[in-house]
Amino acid sequence: MPMVLLKCDSDIPERQKHIYLKGPNEDSTEFLPVANAPTIPGTLSERGCAFCGAKLVIGGVLKDTIQMIHGPLGCAYDTWHTKRYPTDNGHFNMKYVWSTDMKESHVVFGGEKRLEQSMHEAFDEMPEIKRMIVYTTCPTALIGDDVKAVARKVMKDRPDVDVFTVECPGFAGVSQSKGHHVLNIGWINEKVATLEPEITSEYTMNFIGDFNIQGDTQLLQTYWDRLGIQVIAHFTGNGTYDALRGMHRAQLNVVNCARSSGYIANELKKQYGIPRLDIDSWGFNYMAEGIRKICAFFGIEEKGEALIADEYTKWKPKLDWYKERLQGKKMAIWTGGPRLWHWTKSVEDDLGIQVVAMSSKFGHEEDFEKVIARGQEGTYYIDDGNELEFFEILDLVKPDVVFTGPRVGELIKKLHIPYVNGHGYHNGPYMGFEGFVNLARDTYNAVYNPLRHLAGVDIRDANPVALPVKIREAA
Amino acid sequence: MMEDKIDDLFDYVQVRCLWQFFSRTWDRQENIDGVLGKAYELFTGKEPSLKTPADKLYYADAKSMVSDCLASFPWIKQASEAEIRQVLDGLKVRLVENVITKSTNRELTHHLY
Amino acid sequence: MSDCNCEVAENKPAEVKLVPRERAGIINPMYDCQPAGAQYAGIGVKDCIPLVHGGQGCTMFVRLLFAQHFKENFDVASTSLHEDSAVFGGVKRVEQGVMVLAQRYPNLRVIPIITTCSTEIIGDDIEGTIRLCQRALAEAFPGRTIHLAPVHTPSFKGSHVSGYAECMKSMVKTIAKKGEPTGKLNVFPGWVNPGDVMLLKEYLSKMEVDATVFMDTEDFDSPMLPGKTIETHGRTTVEDIEDSANAIGSLSLARYESGSTTKLLADQFSVPDYPVDTPYGIANTDAMLRKISEITGKPIPESLVRERGIALDALADLAHMFFANKKVAIFGHPDLVFGLAKFCMEVELEPVLLLIGDDQGNKYKKDPRIAELKAAADFDIEIVHNADLWELETRIKKGLKLDLIMGHSKGRYVAIDANIPMVRVGFPTFDRAGLYRKPTMGYKGAMELAETIANTIFAHMEYTRNKEWILNTW
Repeated sequence: MPMVLLKCDSDIPERQKHIYLKGPNEDSTEFLPVANAPTIPGTLSERGCAFCGAKLVIGGVLKDTIQMIHGPLGCAYDTWHTKRYPTDNGHFNMKYVWSTDMKESHVVFGGEKRLEQSMHEAFDEMPEIKRMIVYTTCPTALIGDDVKAVARKVMKDRPDVDVFTVECPGFAGVSQSKGHHVLNIGWINEKVATLEPEITSEYTMNFIGDFNIQGDTQLLQTYWDRLGIQVIAHFTGNGTYDALRGMHRAQLNVVNCARSSGYIANELKKQYGIPRLDIDSWGFNYMAEGIRKICAFFGIEEKGEALIADEYTKWKPKLDWYKERLQGKKMAIWTGGPRLWHWTKSVEDDLGIQVVAMSSKFGHEEDFEKVIARGQEGTYYIDDGNELEFFEILDLVKPDVVFTGPRVGELIKKLHIPYVNGHGYHNGPYMGFEGFVNLARDTYNAVYNPLRHLAGVDIRDANPVALPVKIREAA
Repeated sequence: MMEDKIDDLFDYVQVRCLWQFFSRTWDRQENIDGVLGKAYELFTGKEPSLKTPADKLYYADAKSMVSDCLASFPWIKQASEAEIRQVLDGLKVRLVENVITKSTNRELTHHLY
Repeated sequence: MSDCNCEVAENKPAEVKLVPRERAGIINPMYDCQPAGAQYAGIGVKDCIPLVHGGQGCTMFVRLLFAQHFKENFDVASTSLHEDSAVFGGVKRVEQGVMVLAQRYPNLRVIPIITTCSTEIIGDDIEGTIRLCQRALAEAFPGRTIHLAPVHTPSFKGSHVSGYAECMKSMVKTIAKKGEPTGKLNVFPGWVNPGDVMLLKEYLSKMEVDATVFMDTEDFDSPMLPGKTIETHGRTTVEDIEDSANAIGSLSLARYESGSTTKLLADQFSVPDYPVDTPYGIANTDAMLRKISEITGKPIPESLVRERGIALDALADLAHMFFANKKVAIFGHPDLVFGLAKFCMEVELEPVLLLIGDDQGNKYKKDPRIAELKAAADFDIEIVHNADLWELETRIKKGLKLDLIMGHSKGRYVAIDANIPMVRVGFPTFDRAGLYRKPTMGYKGAMELAETIANTIFAHMEYTRNKEWILNTW
């Protein structure tokens, strides 16, 4: 029975539909975890809300845009200081967050005036900023404030500003995924093609679904610069509001995160005929393949090969050093969704690591089709895993390292299992060639951490097990 | 024998590629037809047409697939055009079956993205 | 006028003014919302998992926030409110959440049910749902008692400060019951770090006072053990809370965080309420210890006199040499800010700008600590209530000269961009290591804080090459 009912789930047997243990010669047509389905209350799921999917993941990355959150202050507070996406203009996006500070009187009498006032104030306080995204939250959606009307009024009063509205309260959908969707579809319908980009190269593309975590976008941008490809819009790493309005002019959409941003690529294909090319940006093999495909599209294969050769010369020996030492190590991945399928094969091919369990917070069934195709037999594939399930799975698969968020990382530290931040990274970037060496280094440093050995020692033990003298080697 | 060859290519595509897993059935079908069409041209030494953006996209995806498969599966170099056609047709049937007709992904047929 | 031509400064008395944030909106909030604070109170109880009735983000981000501050994981559950509940009501999800928690966590004894903005607007009947849940629990788990405390914390009122107070009060109201007198003292420190809880327990033990600290968060700093057990949870037990009704008195150390609970214990169970100023700095600590001595009849021991002396000795090395005339801004919880302002004046720092949050402006006006600052200050003090961190940033941009900022990590970029040394205090302090372990309260806390301030200023002198040579000999 490859769908697994864990012991901790005996009282919630419906969880069986979400947990799959891949057997020999099986594929996702036989067994596909149910995904993007409601969470069972009280299970200690890892999921966030739709609002954060829109604001924290996508919109809030932009480096020149006020993020006006129409609701109580908590929604702003909570989606601030929780991401590592720097920008080349001093991290405006990480420094500030805006809230209409909604109070009870606005719940009773409506919050539109409050929103309008807060929008004007924000533009007045930061006169150099001319772009804004307004988000609704649970309470403003429930009382039915017409934020689009307010945005139109503010734009009329201030002809030099542009405002985009995202109506995506936290209770919408089942996870942050709903927020990705609402923002994607809203943007293509309301903002794309409202501004013509300046074209500076005969090769143009949008790079979609990469959020400049610890500089991913900026690292990859060095490749596009060397290849002479103009990225019209980064959706949304290190990106600008106006660049995203010109997405319709690109010749190609390159998609990294298909979960958060596949929608806009699909719509750009449907509405503007721009082809969608999905690539993986994590891993040597994958990155090289992605560059080859992009260059083949533009007919600049030689340039691509030269870049790949350069990068391999520079970074491959370092990667191989780590591969030798990480060979056969077991990894678990508890992240959002796409990183499961982006990483399972790249860590296997490039680092010799076996991924033994994977859990996705907000992946859809499409993500599970991808990861089950790429992942190994004997590996657990879990949708919306919860805390007790994690404990049970850890006991079953005994990983050497877990790629997950810091909170779960703190939890498993007590079990003497090291974690690497699978969301914000430890010391990234992790994309691209140099990035994957960083990932390898952080994984090595986690796995070969002397504290793990010390943690297992009971000083009361009369016959202590001798600790290894040499744990780490000079890299 | 033919089944083994289809297996080779099917396993490669499933592990390595993303184009067969696009969001909706029509995207998947379009990509499977497009990429395998270009792969056939490349495997059989024909000059692929690169007139439309879609042509260029399928070419880009097919080129990686063809070069990887040529390196991994020595039988391809010996195969006749007819045999390549047959293998790719078989692969197409397998892919369509796997990612479209038999897929239990509940979003595949949603009319909106 | 004197004979000399030198300018004489106008001899006007120092002004202490309380002003509100003038803007409607917030730029960079200082506090989280009520449900966040309620969750913090809930995790202080042993065998307790708070259940937050709202969207999943209301729980997920708050758990992350706690993990950022403590570098630990805490269990909090969500009812995972979705659209259907927004239309038809969400009480069924509460019922389901309670049952799932009870089934999967056999040691669970307390579930505070924490509302949010959405579920308060929807109008879910939490009290009625609790009655239904209790019936279902009695049927499913005969002989097992699980306390379900209704915690009404809509996010559009107050802040995480009032949410903390509300959850504390509701848990006490739900669980406390009159029984045999315990002879113990209730101590409610408010929202403080494990380091403060450990310090208070040490003081109480030195005074031989039998006391219970609510909440006992000592294990929020928990070990990696050879047996791999996980001990990150509150130490306050159901029995502790039950017996809070039978104590000799309640010492309330935080007007805005514990005051409502100790008042409830007084009103409902006749447990005398002893509010004191939050014990930051020497004089406030003196007052707390005297109060404990007065309530219990136990003398203040020699060891605390010595600790006080050691602190004073250390502070004296720093005050008039390094701290005098230095202008400080402090932001955070009001009880912390007022306490630290007084401490600053003890060591000759000048707390010229105090930022306190949420919408309790009228409440703050009556705070006697403001009058006390007015009486003591020989420099102007501006107190901004309902403040956000933009109030701090704009004042600096408009020319306010500060030598030091004290506050939590959310204000880090104000200090970084203005190149002003900053000492992290309060919650959260995720961008500095181990602060949750250190006390800020008491003599020791005052001493360690002063030394942190000094070392921060010293490092800044060195990085900015600003008279760093003074320290060539000290």
